[in-house]
Amino acid sequence: MGVEADKHGKIAVSLAPFYGGKLEIVPKIPVRSLDDFSVWYTPGVAAVCRAIRENKELSLQYTGRWNTIGVITNGTRVLGLGDIGPEAAMPVMEGKALIFKYLGGVDAFPLCINADSPEKFVEVVKALEPGLGGVNLEDISSPACFSILDALRDSMDIPVWHDDQLGTASVTLAALTNALKIVDKKLGEVRIVLFGAGAANIATARLLEKAGADLGRLMMVDSRGILHSERYDMDELMLKNPWKYELGLKTNRERLSGDLREALKDADVLIAASVPGPGVIKKEWIREMADDSIVFLLANPVPEMWPREAREAGARIVATGRSDFPNQVNNSLVFPSVFRGALDTRARRITDSMVLAASNALSDYVPPDKLNENYIIPTMDDWEVYVYVAAAVAEQAGREGVARNPLTYDEAYVRAKKTIERSRRILQALMNENLIKPLPKVD
Amino acid sequence: MGKPIFRPAQPSDLDRLVDLNIRLKRLNEEFDPLLKIREDIPEISKKYLSEAMSSPNSIVVVAEDEGRVVGFLKADIKERIFYKPKTEGNIVEFYLLPEYRRKGFGAAFLDYAIDLLRERAEIITAEFPSLNEIATEFYTRLKFRSIISVYARET
Repeated sequence: MGVEADKHGKIAVSLAPFYGGKLEIVPKIPVRSLDDFSVWYTPGVAAVCRAIRENKELSLQYTGRWNTIGVITNGTRVLGLGDIGPEAAMPVMEGKALIFKYLGGVDAFPLCINADSPEKFVEVVKALEPGLGGVNLEDISSPACFSILDALRDSMDIPVWHDDQLGTASVTLAALTNALKIVDKKLGEVRIVLFGAGAANIATARLLEKAGADLGRLMMVDSRGILHSERYDMDELMLKNPWKYELGLKTNRERLSGDLREALKDADVLIAASVPGPGVIKKEWIREMADDSIVFLLANPVPEMWPREAREAGARIVATGRSDFPNQVNNSLVFPSVFRGALDTRARRITDSMVLAASNALSDYVPPDKLNENYIIPTMDDWEVYVYVAAAVAEQAGREGVARNPLTYDEAYVRAKKTIERSRRILQALMNENLIKPLPKVD
Repeated sequence: MGKPIFRPAQPSDLDRLVDLNIRLKRLNEEFDPLLKIREDIPEISKKYLSEAMSSPNSIVVVAEDEGRVVGFLKADIKERIFYKPKTEGNIVEFYLLPEYRRKGFGAAFLDYAIDLLRERAEIITAEFPSLNEIATEFYTRLKFRSIISVYARET
């Protein structure tokens, strides 16, 4: 696993009981005395309820629903730990909710539920719609996560997002868009190899298609080798994983068979989202890619091979999911901002075009004069990027007619900036007042 | 990929037919654990299909696209010993590669086979695993209905 991950793990485990949770609910209205409850609670509140009863959409103005999302999991595929169950998934959900608040100003509520079938999961989440402004699905095993996301996106009137799919796909696309600018190749013409056919790469393939990639020239490689329409397990996939089956039909027009090594011969792009390395991908295979190759190594916590190895083998641009290497492909660049934009416009859904708008905003954020092999994607500590992406998503929602509260780009920008800054100021104020305990001395 | 043509199977198609038959049986196994395939399925398929191709009471036909066999159908001409009409064309194997599905080729292939069978049979039947919902929907859409049911239990 690595010494560094162990060190962080030790600290996390010692701090967990010290703080007993990462978030707590704090009022956002003044309470001067118990008398104020006559307004915030009975009898005054009944008038608010009556108003909403007449027009349900008012709940998105009169309550906190507009800025509250559920971060929802059944714990069936948590990080690299697998099926650990909902209770054990809670620390991750809390961390996700923390990031939503800190980077996006979104009130995210961790919801770890017992739902052992996709149907049950969908039923539970749909039942939560009246009290939520949006849903972020998290850490659900594939292929169940595909049917769950599709079912909820189609049937709910609030934005639904599965970060393991859409977050990864949109940041990957943003990085790829910029990488292609540097090597001067076109998305519709390049040969792309996706190594790993789980939630991330299946979502990436689908998004690449929408962005204009030629899926006939794209190959997916999983543990059984290169996927193609006549691979021996296609009928099994038709029944067990129709999303992968569909990609088996649409990708790899030439029906090339074999393993990753064959797929990489003369390929322009490799996006690996498979198992942690190092040593999963060999230098010789990278060497056989086309000139100016682009290599993304997204496994966590250790990429499939070290970026240095890929560069030594001739890759021109290399990205990983880690902050200690250049070009970090990190979902946190999009999920808080996508929701910021969607929630500010009270969007009814997150459409594919909104996902593309987020991706394009992220890649556009890097100005041409700063763009280079080691800087294809904004870094997380650039505070403006979250506002920039949020505004782009909000604008797209309005353009598509899914915004209950359409905003101009500038309005969306200002609103996002205020909301995100406010949440950081609250955190700072709580820390300054020692209402958040300072970190104990840890070795 | 174009529209496949349909023709009777030739002896030179045998290896390809064996492969397609194994895929079909594997698909059946996916639908129903009581249809687990035998290890000697390649040998059995070869014998089964070459016998069918030389039998006057069976037809084996293929769908071909750009010189490749992409599907097959096998049917037997049987006598219904108690019932009329007397002669039955019983389709027992029907498979198309994934790329050729959901495009209307299956229905066209079936029509081709039925036209051949109609020369001798007055009633057409099709046999497939009960749990294969795709087949059930396919035949129902083409105006077939269930006529005999086979129930099973492991002892």
